[in-house]
Amino acid sequence: MLLFVILAIPLAAGATSFAARKRRAMEAINLAGFAALFLLAAALGAKILRAGSVQLWNGFLAADSLSALVVLLTAFVALACSVYAVGYFREDERNHVFEANVRGAATISSLRNYYSLTPLFVFAMLLVALANNLGVMWVAIEATTLASVFLISFYGRATSIEAAWKYAMIGGVGLSMALFGTILTYYSAHHVLETETLAGLNWSVLVVNAPLFDKTTMKLAFILILLGYGTKAGIAPMHTWKPDAYSEAPVPVAAMLAAAVLNCALYGLIRFYVLTTRCLGPEFASQLLIIFGLLSVGVTVPFVLVQKSFRRLLAYSSIDHGGIMILGLAFGGALGALGMLLHLTFHSITKPLLFFCAGNVEQYLKTDLFRRAKGGLIHSMPVSGPIFLMATLAVTGIPPFSLFQSEFTILRAGFGGPLLWPPILLIVLLVVIFIGFLVHIAKLVLGEDPGLPPADLCPWKKYSLIGLASVVVIMGFWLPGPLFDLIRNAAQVVGGER
Amino acid sequence: MITLMAAFVLVLQIAMVGQRWLVTNIRVFAAQSFLLAGIANTIAYFNHAPHLYIAAFLTFSLKAVVLPIVLERLVKRVGIGQEIAPIVNVPLSLLISGGLTTVGYIVAASFHHPEESASPASLGRNTLAVAVSLFLIGFFMMISRRKAIMQVLALLSLENGLFLAAISLTYGMPLIVELGIFFDLLVAVMVLGILVYRIQETFDSMDVTKLSRLRG
Repeated sequence: MLLFVILAIPLAAGATSFAARKRRAMEAINLAGFAALFLLAAALGAKILRAGSVQLWNGFLAADSLSALVVLLTAFVALACSVYAVGYFREDERNHVFEANVRGAATISSLRNYYSLTPLFVFAMLLVALANNLGVMWVAIEATTLASVFLISFYGRATSIEAAWKYAMIGGVGLSMALFGTILTYYSAHHVLETETLAGLNWSVLVVNAPLFDKTTMKLAFILILLGYGTKAGIAPMHTWKPDAYSEAPVPVAAMLAAAVLNCALYGLIRFYVLTTRCLGPEFASQLLIIFGLLSVGVTVPFVLVQKSFRRLLAYSSIDHGGIMILGLAFGGALGALGMLLHLTFHSITKPLLFFCAGNVEQYLKTDLFRRAKGGLIHSMPVSGPIFLMATLAVTGIPPFSLFQSEFTILRAGFGGPLLWPPILLIVLLVVIFIGFLVHIAKLVLGEDPGLPPADLCPWKKYSLIGLASVVVIMGFWLPGPLFDLIRNAAQVVGGER
Repeated sequence: MITLMAAFVLVLQIAMVGQRWLVTNIRVFAAQSFLLAGIANTIAYFNHAPHLYIAAFLTFSLKAVVLPIVLERLVKRVGIGQEIAPIVNVPLSLLISGGLTTVGYIVAASFHHPEESASPASLGRNTLAVAVSLFLIGFFMMISRRKAIMQVLALLSLENGLFLAAISLTYGMPLIVELGIFFDLLVAVMVLGILVYRIQETFDSMDVTKLSRLRG
């Protein structure tokens, strides 16, 4: 029942927002909906900790600790973004962005698009985590793409339409590969299970029988799934849509793409990873994942160093983190899985903060190019400036912040493995990325006062920023016990122990 | 019988690569989907897989009727030129498609399962090989065509290949999954159609090579 309510809330919020007449009503519906969703997601987490797993409708919907973790993070990101979005779009309206860009559409209808598509987008992400059936999961992942295409082209600029087109096309091709992989998995299970009902693709059924599957087919299936869901997660070399989409979408949408959709795509990959390792042993998947993971982190390096726009810089950071998580999975063992899920959690909490800061700076300067900014933002933006710098340190994995702990765990798992060069290479790349990132943002934030008028920050933006920043700081020192238990249990699911 | 129909599907796919007019291409796609629905019906009949009738019906109504009409309307509405303007010229495209078909047969050879051989519904390797070839040629069309609508069409024929793979390997996916896939497909074409319209409006052209402002 809880699972049903969790899925029903965003749908209802989307429908009522669509029917609403006033901006205030749409804002209130979204805020209330996502607040309720977050509470229910926390309740689901608590229930899973007690009961282990929950099922509904003959196992059509099912949640174990891994799904509960992804649901919780999705709800958290959605809530944070909905609070920030209120301030963000009000400022857009004050800046007359809508009249200038959206052709022939009044402000209210653009906002209606945002406030009704976002809950739909969140619904699709939740369905990814809660669908037991791998086919339904594919449908849901495709639905996240379809729901977000018009969120990316929101501003209607030529560049945002270009970004949306690339996103839809690359995503479409990627997901068709994932569908092929799903069909092949179904095929290799078909001979073992002898069933043509829905249960033949239910993960909870497949995972038990995985050792009996046809090995050649599973190999091909995993390659296709890795390419497919890897495209959705923005793993190199299928990452090319990411900088475009992240820099053209409105900031709350970009934050959700970076912090929540990434989780969903990796979640899909993890489900198949577990089946593949059960069937073929860990080596096969591990080798592939190491290549793709290192490639993702490596591709980021040159683009971070010469980056011209801070919105695109954030997209490359997201490719980098996707790569790190893939490497956590690749290094494997209990430690690698734990490191990966810790990283997933901390990344989802830290990334939106970085996007919100970048959004504030962009709205203030009216540009996202480094060369047009004169530096010294700390003087005119006493809140966003320092937090931007802090978030940068946090996201590049500097010790007091939590992403350091998870990267450290992943590296320890790497050094425990048979190959030494991948973790060593990872350290080198991470250091270079850290330097490049910090130089860019420090130049933007620090420096002499260029004499700009002080930014006026509306309470919605200010408190969402300060609230999220305090969560990030607290997480650096203290991870709540139940949350850690949930992550540890989920890591056992990834490791195939549960 | 199924092998024959599958061969026709492949021929139509290559015809799509080989000819230049947009509207004809949409009709070829419709014919291909019609054949696919026929294959699904045949398999459903011989293998007593009743849920495949529904999939066949959906393939027919959606891919052979509704989507082609939607796409043709879109072509008329944006009033674009008829030629598809490929990046790779037609003879070379045909040659590459031939090569990809060979690859399809090689890939399918690794999926040998001996128990299905002599029955009239024998699916065998041929159908799977055709499916893989459709998938690969669809890919090739996506990267070698400039018109946005052509890319949508390529994506759809790629999806046709997947459907064929699904019915030839396992008599189709479970019904709910199949329904979900069809629903996604329908929404995808709507979304892409609107985007195509906006591209035309903004760039005054449907040439996707003009979408190149975002770099780095």
